[in-house]
Amino acid sequence: MPSDDVVLETHDLGYSYAPGRFAIRHLSVGLHRGEVLGLLGRNGAGKTTTVRLLTTLLPPTEGGATVLGYDIRTGGRALRSHLGVVLQSESLDFVSVERNLTLYGFLWNIPREVAKARAEEMIELFELEGARKRKPWALSGGERRRFQVARELMHDMDILFLDEPTVGLDAIARRRILRYLKDRARGGLSIVFTTHILHEADMLCDRIAVLHLGRLIALDTAQGLKSKHSGAREVAVTFAAALPGPVRAELVVELTARGATIIEPEDAVSTALDRIAFRAARAEELLPWLSQWAHARSLGIDRMSIEEATLESAFLGMIGEAEDAGDGRGKGSERPENVLSGGRAGGLA
Amino acid sequence: MSLPPILRLIVRNFASNLDPLTIIIRFGQPAVTIIVLGTMFSSIISSSVTGGASYTAFLVPGMVAFQMITGGVVSGNLFWLDRRWSMVEQVFSGPFLRAEYLAGLVLTSLLFSLVGVGIMMLVGLPFIGIPPLSALGVLAVLVTVALGSVFFAGLLIAIGLQLRSANAYFSIQSFLQLFVIFLSTVYYPVTSKTPKVLATIFYLNPLTYAADTIRDAFSGTLGPSDLVSLGILALLATVTFGAAAWAFRRMDLGPIQ
Repeated sequence: MPSDDVVLETHDLGYSYAPGRFAIRHLSVGLHRGEVLGLLGRNGAGKTTTVRLLTTLLPPTEGGATVLGYDIRTGGRALRSHLGVVLQSESLDFVSVERNLTLYGFLWNIPREVAKARAEEMIELFELEGARKRKPWALSGGERRRFQVARELMHDMDILFLDEPTVGLDAIARRRILRYLKDRARGGLSIVFTTHILHEADMLCDRIAVLHLGRLIALDTAQGLKSKHSGAREVAVTFAAALPGPVRAELVVELTARGATIIEPEDAVSTALDRIAFRAARAEELLPWLSQWAHARSLGIDRMSIEEATLESAFLGMIGEAEDAGDGRGKGSERPENVLSGGRAGGLA
Repeated sequence: MSLPPILRLIVRNFASNLDPLTIIIRFGQPAVTIIVLGTMFSSIISSSVTGGASYTAFLVPGMVAFQMITGGVVSGNLFWLDRRWSMVEQVFSGPFLRAEYLAGLVLTSLLFSLVGVGIMMLVGLPFIGIPPLSALGVLAVLVTVALGSVFFAGLLIAIGLQLRSANAYFSIQSFLQLFVIFLSTVYYPVTSKTPKVLATIFYLNPLTYAADTIRDAFSGTLGPSDLVSLGILALLATVTFGAAAWAFRRMDLGPIQ
């Protein structure tokens, strides 16, 4: 579990790449020791810019941030000495995988014997044995990505920034890396993680910040986001006996009045009269009402199922809401009302 | 043992980017030039044109001076490849300053040039014997090559910072290399018969000042004009290094091709 120590805090952090054109704006978010914070968003949402700002690769044009107590404007080397950064772009040296690892250890001033031992550990952990003697250009896309994550783990750090580290990886390699990162987080490593693979974020992240056109539109646990933003979900109810025609018609009217959309069976002939299915935005809130309605009419319910809320449906819901609200890049000087509380979000965001 | 960041970067520059084939070509090319051109043209080119020395004896100091380009090209290419493969960004995200990375590149260039000087002198030894180099002469050679390699490293890094295409960078680098070497006194001297325009262009070229100074050091005839040459080289090196440093501070770390 994340501790209460705050290791990173941003205050209205922003970066404009041209006058009035913001890649990120009004970002206020925090990270605790041992916490994994996910940054989600469409392409161009500002995830990579945020990572670059927090790792001092870009200077903020407004607002600020402290990372491990250092101001990102002035922390420089002292700050970066505590960070690990896996960039979105491939960064490679033209020597073998094994040599790349030890050379990177050398750059980080890791004693030679320690670097050799860690390189072996990383080669095994990231399944790079077959690639050990190969040069980067001879590696597959997945191997290069695994290598890049492995290389960053050659040195010690307090915060690890991972910008889409699992792009191009197969499911097994991805799961292995995520599990390893989760273990490291349990050991106290704080992680900032960007991805487009939403179930990864669901699996790994303690909290998730959703960015859209440079704005933070939500910050919560995965569960919190799912329950608040999942949109319409499907509910299927099977009664103990066939519903009489007028009763069924009444149920349809009542459900429709509560915002549900009845799902008509594709094949009218096979319509089961003991079953009804519908979609509703807050489907879970309709279930208690439905139970009471059936109970009042002495109708037994055999089975009631609700489609599982996924982070993907929540994400799509959030982006849809933001686009409907016309939250455009660079437009606003107004502060977004977007910092949701959930879990730890309240105190920090 | 903990090495300072600049030294770690220099070691990394050598270890990661300089494969044996590159090293052989970089040093082999001027070495072969001394042997082949020196042997071929010594009998054709009159020693009166080359100030009384054989053409090989004239060529060796020229090839020594040429090492400043070799070193400059090495660090220019290193930087380009680091940018292309995002290692600049990766290094900057670690415990290094931009100034250290730049200094590491320039010092790599310098070391490469100085190693090249040694190799060229060794290659020239069987042809011209041990040159009458005084301590001051050795110092003049080393300072000249050092300033020249800083000049070319700074120039190529500054050019590399302005370009986003590998084709453009390597085309300019090749053209520049060819232009600089053939419009200098590396292969042939400026004489009374040299067309005025050409002679003027020769003396706009820093390699000419380097080649002349090294030649004077080799022949033991260093004089006040060499001090002026060194001053010009120092000024030019300061300008290009300053330009590279200025552009470095504003460098866009975005992807290039």
